[in-house]
Amino acid sequence: MSQSDEQLHVLQMARSEVLAGRMSRRAFLRLGLALGLSAGATALAACGGTAPAPAPTAAPAPASSGPSGRLRVASEIPVQLDPAFASSDAEILILNHVYDYLVDIDAGNNVIPRLAREWTISDDGLRYRLTLASGVTFHDGSPFTAADVVWTFNRLRDPALQLPTADLYANIAEIAADGDSAVVFTLSAPNPFFLYDLSDNHALILRAGTANPATSFNGTGPFKVVEYRTENRIDLAANPAYFQTGKPAVANLEIIFFADQAAAVDALRGGQVDLVLRMPTPLFQTLQQTAGIVAVQTPTNGFDLVRLRADREPGNKPEVIRALKLATDRQAIFRQVKAGLGAVGRDSPIGPLFSAYYSEATPLPARDPAAARALLASAGYPDGLKLDLHVPDSGDRPDLAVVLKEQWAEAGIDINVIVEPESVYYGDNGWLEVDLGITGWGSRPVPQFYLDVMLVSGAVWNESHFSDAEFDALAATARTTLDEAERVRAYREIQRILIERGPIIIPYFFAQLSAHREGLRGYVAKAFPGRTDLATIAV
Amino acid sequence: MNVQRLGRAFFADPATAAGTIIVTVFLALALFGPLIAPYSPTAQNAELIRQPPSLSHPFGTDRLGRDLFSRIVYGARDILALAGGGTVLAVIVGAFIGISVTYLGGWLEETVFRLFDGLLALPALLLALILLGATGPSRANVLLVMVVVYTPIVARVVRSVVLTLKSRGFIEAARMRNERLGYILWRELLPLVAPTLAVEAALRFSYAIFLVASLGFLGVGVQPPSPDWGLMVLEARNEFALAPWSLYVPAAAIALLVIGVNLMAEGVRRAISDS
Repeated sequence: MSQSDEQLHVLQMARSEVLAGRMSRRAFLRLGLALGLSAGATALAACGGTAPAPAPTAAPAPASSGPSGRLRVASEIPVQLDPAFASSDAEILILNHVYDYLVDIDAGNNVIPRLAREWTISDDGLRYRLTLASGVTFHDGSPFTAADVVWTFNRLRDPALQLPTADLYANIAEIAADGDSAVVFTLSAPNPFFLYDLSDNHALILRAGTANPATSFNGTGPFKVVEYRTENRIDLAANPAYFQTGKPAVANLEIIFFADQAAAVDALRGGQVDLVLRMPTPLFQTLQQTAGIVAVQTPTNGFDLVRLRADREPGNKPEVIRALKLATDRQAIFRQVKAGLGAVGRDSPIGPLFSAYYSEATPLPARDPAAARALLASAGYPDGLKLDLHVPDSGDRPDLAVVLKEQWAEAGIDINVIVEPESVYYGDNGWLEVDLGITGWGSRPVPQFYLDVMLVSGAVWNESHFSDAEFDALAATARTTLDEAERVRAYREIQRILIERGPIIIPYFFAQLSAHREGLRGYVAKAFPGRTDLATIAV
Repeated sequence: MNVQRLGRAFFADPATAAGTIIVTVFLALALFGPLIAPYSPTAQNAELIRQPPSLSHPFGTDRLGRDLFSRIVYGARDILALAGGGTVLAVIVGAFIGISVTYLGGWLEETVFRLFDGLLALPALLLALILLGATGPSRANVLLVMVVVYTPIVARVVRSVVLTLKSRGFIEAARMRNERLGYILWRELLPLVAPTLAVEAALRFSYAIFLVASLGFLGVGVQPPSPDWGLMVLEARNEFALAPWSLYVPAAAIALLVIGVNLMAEGVRRAISDS
């Protein structure tokens, strides 16, 4: 549906754009649909010292005889192919194979080496020294050096260029080359998530001085662009000089654009493409029953948020918030709306995939419509509540609204569902104004993002207008502390507060739904499909 | 033409009779829906998701476990009330404007009909989308949109009839008798416009059904969980391979009703033009 309809991009880019307030909500959504992976604890732990290079998680398919064969991937239509502006799955998917990041994030949400092979972090958390891979060349044959990294990041953070990344990297005091093969980032204040920020979707390394980043396609990545036909397809060929041995596994990569996910799924069934990276639930269920197709579901931390404005009636009454929570059957919603794909939620964005932080210590009260009705009466609504529920027409959100209407009716809450195109729901910041709404949030590799932009007092996307001093203090602690145990404690308290009094309901976390034909080897699904590594796939 | 003859016109030939029967059946569903539908149209059953047609659920169930037969029955109410109500309102307003403005003539006629020409230049669906985009989706707004979209069409048709009548002797005579304006408009002109109006109303009705269903399908009409047929087609689109009946059933209902109304309207038109 416009299921419809939804993907996200990896945490950092969104955080930057959100914080900057420059990214359109629509663009965010396109990204935001994707899903999240597991806890970033490993990387966070690495903040205090030296991070050894973890082994790659996805073993490339056998590549003893060099790249061979042709891989055809269905994608939505890319619009903007300058890495500094690209945001959607379709755009990042292409750029991720033409260029390289300094560090990457694997399917387990761990930071892994890419152009930067290893790194050290000073004890005060302010100085990051990254050692670069040697012998790397751009597609035009020129050598890759630290100067290219410095140029790329200076461009991304230059306030004059008004790029969405300027705020994300505002905390960088200095970027300096240390010879040709090392680069040093000095921060103004500690940022335990800085390595994730370095892997922001936009942070693909360009050759220093690139004049037309949107059309030059001069990267260091595993594939070279052969031909780009706007709104049709892009053909790529293996980069024989790629610095990571064994990659890519295929000789030719064709990314074929589809305006409609149903058409992409049909192309997969008809054998015209080998891989579809995302699709709505019913199409996925159809493919699960199709011979010759492997349907892959990956849990993520993306979720739909049901939220009530807490700064005015009726949401400013704690009894009302508790009543809504008591009237909701999250298990039933998960079964009916998500067909059991993904995970049940507990009203906190710190989902079960963030295993180091997720906690079930605070019990979620069992559904009790009668108790909810009594709470409403005590809050001054003896005849129940009548509310408009605004919902974007994408994904499974209209179904979620309809199921909620049935459930809440038993508690005397009468919902009038208003389904709106995303452009209307998010247009003119209407979604930040309405009392009751459903918003889709994409997956991020670390949970702090959600707290900072969605729940902290005055945050840019604080759609529920939640303001809680205890919560704010805990979020600030988690954001800055270099003590992992302290962060774990803060996140547990935050989950308790959100279950007890957060004006939000998170009924489920999505799964990322993709599918490929049988015989494809080496595919590892990612929460943000655009960051999938196609170089590991063999046909 | 008297009522009896008009009544006979509804069954004048097999095609018209078939149309009349189809429309009557749907009207009966709309009127007696609660007595006919075995379940509530919005009641969900998580245990009975996407069940194919069976004895207990003759049209099967949808992705939320709702009984499709009950939804079709209740949906008949929605679509007939909206399309019928919109048609009646547009015919009344269009006839009023068409008769009075055309009779009065002058700059008023010029202004009003140039404005209508402007509205007619836009495709009906596009105009409806613009209006609903501005006013927000709701039943009342769908009704309003139909009045805005169809009034100019009705008024134009009425105008063509009034223009030929306006210069005829009996109108001239009425004016000489110093009859009140209201008498001339509603006693002299309206009865002569009525047959054309009846044909136009029948035709408008079938277009109105399509418009309501289209708006539902585009998601800007009646809102979920209402059992709107167009909305049901929209919601079943991605389900097709899993539960084809959830798409076939509402699509067939829309098609059948439109065919029925068209057959009936054609019969009425023929009967009136014969007389």
